[in-house]
Amino acid sequence: MTTNAATGAVKRPEKSSSPWAIARRKFLRNKLAMASTVFLILVIILTLLAPFLAPHLSPIPDITKVNISKMSIAPNGDHLLGTDKSGRDVMTRLLYGGRISLLVGASATAIVVVLGTIVGSVAGFFGGAVDSLLMRFTDFVLNFPFLVFVIVLNTILFGIVDGLWVLILVIGLLSWGGVARIVRSKVLAEKENEYVLAAISIGTPPAKVIIKHLLPNVLSTIIVQSTLLFASLIVAETGLSYLGFGVPQETPSWGNMLAFANEPDVLQGKPWIWMPPALVITATILSINFIGEGLKDALNPKSQR
Amino acid sequence: MLKYTLRRILGMIPMLFLVSIVVFFLAKAMPGDSLSGEIDPTNTNPEYIAEMREKLGYNDPVYVQYYRWVTDFMSGDFGKSTRYKMPVAELIGEKLPNTIFLALTSLLITYVLAFAMGMYSGRKPYTVGDNLIAGFNYAGIAIPSFVAGVFAVYFFAFKLNWFPFAGSVDIEIDKGTIDYWMSRIHHVMLPAFVLGMFSTASYTQFLRNDLIENSRKDFVRTALAKGTPLGKIYNVHILRNSIIPLVTFLGFDIAALVGGAIITEKIFTYPGIGLLFLDSVNNRDYPTVMAITMMLSAMVLIGNLIADILYGIVDPRIRLG
Repeated sequence: MTTNAATGAVKRPEKSSSPWAIARRKFLRNKLAMASTVFLILVIILTLLAPFLAPHLSPIPDITKVNISKMSIAPNGDHLLGTDKSGRDVMTRLLYGGRISLLVGASATAIVVVLGTIVGSVAGFFGGAVDSLLMRFTDFVLNFPFLVFVIVLNTILFGIVDGLWVLILVIGLLSWGGVARIVRSKVLAEKENEYVLAAISIGTPPAKVIIKHLLPNVLSTIIVQSTLLFASLIVAETGLSYLGFGVPQETPSWGNMLAFANEPDVLQGKPWIWMPPALVITATILSINFIGEGLKDALNPKSQR
Repeated sequence: MLKYTLRRILGMIPMLFLVSIVVFFLAKAMPGDSLSGEIDPTNTNPEYIAEMREKLGYNDPVYVQYYRWVTDFMSGDFGKSTRYKMPVAELIGEKLPNTIFLALTSLLITYVLAFAMGMYSGRKPYTVGDNLIAGFNYAGIAIPSFVAGVFAVYFFAFKLNWFPFAGSVDIEIDKGTIDYWMSRIHHVMLPAFVLGMFSTASYTQFLRNDLIENSRKDFVRTALAKGTPLGKIYNVHILRNSIIPLVTFLGFDIAALVGGAIITEKIFTYPGIGLLFLDSVNNRDYPTVMAITMMLSAMVLIGNLIADILYGIVDPRIRLG
């Protein structure tokens, strides 16, 4: 998780506080952000432990098998959150679904951050023709209606590559534009500093200047951005799965579970099927956003808190 | 200004060209005949397919095919829907008014709400009312629209019965009567609110912060010193400055409504372009899919262009060489 960079970096008692130590202290004092962090870690641990927890939670730990005899049972002692229309335990699927939703969000975020940082820092550092070429390309990518293109690309690639990775790749490849723009503008400002000129003048190769000198100084921006991106890419996955174009239907994900709400009788009369994923999605997104805001505040040297 | 506008419009053409090339190759990558829709997908006789492919020019060089597609597209010939056996242009024409109605209602709700709430919060910052509005804003920005939509249908349509849960109009009402329009408005309210929730929240927040910031400026102090009533300072002096950035959001809204409409129309089973797009993908009606893709891409481009141009027009302080 990106949060660890801010929370677990320094252990020494405060001599002269490093910027990271100050940020950590500010973050630890932010109650909302801390509560959100605890919640998110809890969610991650629970979903990771799904295979161990499932047998204790429900008499039918299988997440894909259809049980005609147990269709749409309301919550009771056996099934804490009831069963869905195919007779599968909602609680168990919620845990397994979280793994997929968080995995898609995290992997797509990783792709986006890597691509965006490379494009943005190269464009910002070299400037000139390289910059305008890369930025025109970024504009071009940003100009596609995201949802429409993900659905079309998914339809074309479906069956050629494993469904889950198609989704991650497509989301990742279409979303890096924003990060590239932000990193570029930060690098543009940062490279005016004299230490960069000094590094270049003693013959440091460009790659090394970017990686060793520029990126550490834009890292705080990248951390905040990737946190907020993580939230919005989880939204992208769940939204697409809700529409039926995300994670393959046989794999449980929070979005796939919410898709049951497309059937009016489930939406109206069987809220235990769609409400748990809806609430978990909302809570997770909110907590990640709070963490992001907390990090932004903590890493901003001008903020007082 | 005129020079800038012209340059932006001319700058859009290569972008439109590139987007059309991408859409064209995506269409070629789709299974079947997704450009014209003339080949009957149920007829699997290889001789028939080969004959049709030759007739439709599929054996021509790629650039010839692209040129033919683009010229057809610009003259309004979007191919033929394989599902409905009618021109895609007609199909889109049937659904487009619904989507436009939804989008306009959504914009109206957004601007009215954002204005009322933003003005209140900006004038009385850090009060209970402001905090409540801030809470609503945070929810509006963070909660995904499909989650909000599903909950809205559940509570307002099923539990409270205030709004219908699907469709765009009651079927039994005659077209053109007042009842007909009332029914349409009744149907569009809930989806329009959900569609505009995100922008409502961000506009309100923006307007509030801008009002607070502007109220500390020198011209406000001057006006106060002259004895101008506070209400007039807010409604005339400050608002005029704060409204500028809001206007420029209109262009981005057009782009955002494109994606938002797909999800909202699905949740509320509202028969517009978004629902047509999803149904066409599900029914392998690829000519319709590609026509809508091209249309929506062009709309996003135009939306961004409008945003850029408005930005220059409304604020003369911004010099765009």
